[in-house]
Amino acid sequence: MSLAKTSAGTPARVGIVIVSHSPDVARGTADMVRQMVGTEVPLAWCGGNPDGGLGTSVEKIIAAIDAAWSEAGVAILVDLGGAETNSEMAIELLPEERQERTVLVNAPLVEGAIMAATEAWGGGSLDDVRRTAEELAPR
Amino acid sequence: MTAPCTASVLLFHEVGLHARPSVKLTKLAKRFASQIEVAPAPDGPWIDAKSIVKVMAVKAPKDTVLHFRATGEDADRALAALVRLVETDFADEAV
Amino acid sequence: MTDLPGHMAVALGADDIETLFGAMARTIIAHAEELTALDQAIGDGDHGVNMKRGFEAVTANLPAIAAKPLPEALKAAGMELVMKVGGASGPLYGTLLMTLGKTLPAAPGRGDVAAALAAAIDAVKARGKSETGQKTMLDVLAPVQAAVARGEDLATIRAIAAEAAAATVPMRATRGRASFLGERSVGHMDPGARSSQLLVEAVCDAIGDFA
Repeated sequence: MSLAKTSAGTPARVGIVIVSHSPDVARGTADMVRQMVGTEVPLAWCGGNPDGGLGTSVEKIIAAIDAAWSEAGVAILVDLGGAETNSEMAIELLPEERQERTVLVNAPLVEGAIMAATEAWGGGSLDDVRRTAEELAPR
Repeated sequence: MTAPCTASVLLFHEVGLHARPSVKLTKLAKRFASQIEVAPAPDGPWIDAKSIVKVMAVKAPKDTVLHFRATGEDADRALAALVRLVETDFADEAV
Repeated sequence: MTDLPGHMAVALGADDIETLFGAMARTIIAHAEELTALDQAIGDGDHGVNMKRGFEAVTANLPAIAAKPLPEALKAAGMELVMKVGGASGPLYGTLLMTLGKTLPAAPGRGDVAAALAAAIDAVKARGKSETGQKTMLDVLAPVQAAVARGEDLATIRAIAAEAAAATVPMRATRGRASFLGERSVGHMDPGARSSQLLVEAVCDAIGDFA
């Protein structure tokens, strides 16, 4: 669990949450985002099931959303189906005023996180951030 | 509508416009209010320099001449900054 | 008592609720290895471990869960599964129990159970973006709901759950990890269908034991 702090006084940027079945993949993806895009975008990651094995945990996802929370909202990127289901569940368990400002992004994890963070860095709205990353994955 | 400002610069970065330089170029373009486009050839295709997805998709190889055009109040400054970024081999302090 | 209560149902006491969730947890924990083996054949091999973890959490909190009225107890047990299971089955079973909790009155009769099951199945369909016929837990839950609605007795409901789980063996998966296998998913029972069957059996047995 880690968090990149925004510098005080800048307008709120959309936060990015990275969810993988593997803590190593999630941490590595977050490292890439920090190195390539910078530390100004609120960023948090989580991975692994409640026992620390491969999987995802609703509890950890909620904590990550909390850590990356921004008034501009939070975009979640996931790796596999279970992470998607658990992230949707996590969003439903958020306080109502946060639910509408938290979105699940349908994009490949690493590329999507870089694209979403770049758009977030530039001050894009939550919708801009999601659409930018999803340009990678035409439905 | 004023004519756009234009500039061009040789891309000598060893692996061309791959992911990291793309992010830097996009981030720098986003700092300016002007509409900014980039193309891998003088006749295009012109793409939005503020769109990370589109910039990454250019995949310009080493020794490509990148062409920029910008329209807006800070167009001159934007182009100068972008050319400098490429000339300094995407040095961190440029962004 | 071998039947679901009809009209004039009485509220379940703490002992009954403890019996109900205790039976569900015991059967899942006892069959964890079998569920994992089924999941190793066509999934990612963690269904048994994950479900066991979830129901161990339910067991650990059983006194607190059982102290609540039935709807609240279902919501609390569902939340344990959501938080502790770790795979997609956590949100799926969690949603099932939480929706039952939201829909059931404190003293449900048969009609209430049928209606709540229907609502819970719809919620699971939405959560899993799936339908019946895709080789999932829904292929057990839907026939069980229909049997409850038809007024079948507990023994018949139990038998229908077993038949429905067995009927997933020849199905081809089109949802979840098993769908990546295409034709190779044929010939294996769906692990989620099996865990649903086990839970239905446990509930039927527990209801039969109610004083």
